[in-house]
Amino acid sequence: MTIKVKFYSLFKINLKSSGEVYEIKNPITISELINKLDNDYDDYFTNKLLNDKGKISPGAIILVNGKNILHLNNLKTELKDEDIITLFPPSAGG
Amino acid sequence: MGKIYEYEVLRIDLSNEEIKREKIEGEVVKKYLGGRGLASKILYDEIDPKVDPLSPENKLIFATGLLTGTAASTGGRYMVVTKGPLTGTIASSNSGGFFGAELRFSGNDIIIFEGKAKRPLYLSIKGNEVELKDASEIWGKTVFETTDYLVDVFGNDKAKVSCIGPAGENLVKFASIMNDKHRAAGRTGVGAVMGSKNLKAIVVKADEKQVEYYKEEMMEVVRKQTKMLKEDGVTGEGLPSLGTKVLDNIINSNGLYPTNNFQYGTFEDVEEVSGEALVEKGYLQSNKGCYGCPIRCGRDVKLPNGQHGEGPEYETGWAYGADCGVNDLNAITEANFICNELGLDTISAGTTIACAMELYEKGHIDKDELENGPELKFGSSESIVYYTKQMGYREGIGDELAEGSYRLAESRGHPELSMSVKKQELPAYDPRGVQGHGLNYVTSNRGGCHVRGYMISPEVLGVPEKLDPQELEGKPEWVIIFQDLTAIIDSIGMCLFTSFALGLDDYREIVNAGTKFDYTSDSLLETGERIYNLERQFNLEAGITPDEDKLPERFDEPLPDGPQKGINSKYKELLPKYYKKRGWEEDGYISDKKLEEMGIK
Repeated sequence: MTIKVKFYSLFKINLKSSGEVYEIKNPITISELINKLDNDYDDYFTNKLLNDKGKISPGAIILVNGKNILHLNNLKTELKDEDIITLFPPSAGG
Repeated sequence: MGKIYEYEVLRIDLSNEEIKREKIEGEVVKKYLGGRGLASKILYDEIDPKVDPLSPENKLIFATGLLTGTAASTGGRYMVVTKGPLTGTIASSNSGGFFGAELRFSGNDIIIFEGKAKRPLYLSIKGNEVELKDASEIWGKTVFETTDYLVDVFGNDKAKVSCIGPAGENLVKFASIMNDKHRAAGRTGVGAVMGSKNLKAIVVKADEKQVEYYKEEMMEVVRKQTKMLKEDGVTGEGLPSLGTKVLDNIINSNGLYPTNNFQYGTFEDVEEVSGEALVEKGYLQSNKGCYGCPIRCGRDVKLPNGQHGEGPEYETGWAYGADCGVNDLNAITEANFICNELGLDTISAGTTIACAMELYEKGHIDKDELENGPELKFGSSESIVYYTKQMGYREGIGDELAEGSYRLAESRGHPELSMSVKKQELPAYDPRGVQGHGLNYVTSNRGGCHVRGYMISPEVLGVPEKLDPQELEGKPEWVIIFQDLTAIIDSIGMCLFTSFALGLDDYREIVNAGTKFDYTSDSLLETGERIYNLERQFNLEAGITPDEDKLPERFDEPLPDGPQKGINSKYKELLPKYYKKRGWEEDGYISDKKLEEMGIK
């Protein structure tokens, strides 16, 4: 299956990348995806998205097909083929 | 030198060119704090809410907040309060920069302008010399020209200026008042009221800082709060690096990014016009801050053709971008700069053009009415620049656009195509995607407004906690807290963006520290509630009835695209619960008993 990860905000600016496309054999959870990204990006994503208790940092936004995982199954949300995961570090308002 | 809770007031009779001094202190300050609260109270007491906003009977009040000019982090905000010509409601506009602090320093905390000058005038405050001066040299000049001229004539390059541009002079219904060139008291047409009084500008420079407060006690709290602001992800990282335009991709990815006059919830070309694009295209030069601000979310921007200025902010970039279907960041930024030069609210300006585009595409505006101007089609980057100028100068069809989208659409027989509440244009979030925020839109005291009950914070950003945007339970309570807390922040002169990191307890702490008042968090929140109720009561007496607490019909229809496709606005279910929680009558009016309980009557 193919999943597409999109980077925005400081992820995009600091990593100079708009994201990744992963081909994976078995379904993974968001937690597992963050670990996979950490492998490719030196633990960057755990640092920015999760707090020291391993929960989503206040203000960090993780969307699956436009829906915030906090209203799905949180970090255990399972990803399926063609899912688009969008990531924002704690950001802002206007 | 007075303490910060003893307000020195200048009362300026423009008709007779007379200046008087007064003082406001005591119980009324404890009840209304300052800034937005105190100015609204003064307006309510002193004018008939039914007056014509552009008549001499309206009053224009510049009011610094309780903590403006102190060491409080972001303690530089001020308000302009009056009756607004766009909406007919109380008009209340907040601005940052450095003007507010300087006004406080000069020992003039509140200025009440009355009547109408017989000739263009400006107010000059030089140390203790307060004078009305002839403005005929600068009448007609842009905001930048006016500011430079006045600073030059004043003879001190540290003087601060607040002024209108040609738009205010031409009574454009959504004209703004600009300070420090690029900062706007933007919404609700406060600039038109200033123009209607023949008042061009205020220029001020204090001799010494006349701001007395319990500095040592406050400094402890300031150190703590500054640390909190710097360590928070939003105020310490997101806002400084991308400014409010960090929101473009967030809002679009959530499917509530209004496109083509709110016809859609997502914009295909968002990445061309986002905050990231502003950085990646090299337009962003640096960030900028206001007085006493550790956040520094302002954008210092330079275009390839050399044009240099501040912005665009998220709302501006959206109004001229997705809402008009435009994907040209350069043109969007130009339109933003023109708004700053002419003194126009960027949200109402951009969204009025979007409305005109829909009217044109549907055949309700004819090509020959454009008099060789670019076609008003969604996606036209020439249109957003061209018609902004037309609006500011009331030229050609710009004269109609200058009345705002509601009056424009209504005159063409299609008021339903104006995306507005109480005739003020809605900002950059589709209410169908965020139910609580939609409730805020219909109950805001100044019409379509996001900022005074910013439910995007919990419903999308997850601050202070993440709410499901489609959940209805609990939303009225949340909206009320946000509305009341914002009223407090606007009255103490701190920046609303501190609320991403600070809470009610923090505001209570810093207010008590600086004043030795003894608010509890509850009693402080009550002042917010009181201010909110007073504003609504003003509106009700002005003839803005509860039937106006409604969204355009478009939002009864489902979103046609994006992750929230198929959802419509549920505000009609929430409204009765909101009235009840507010302690208002079922019909949305406020009982005399409630007004007495609140100490308003």
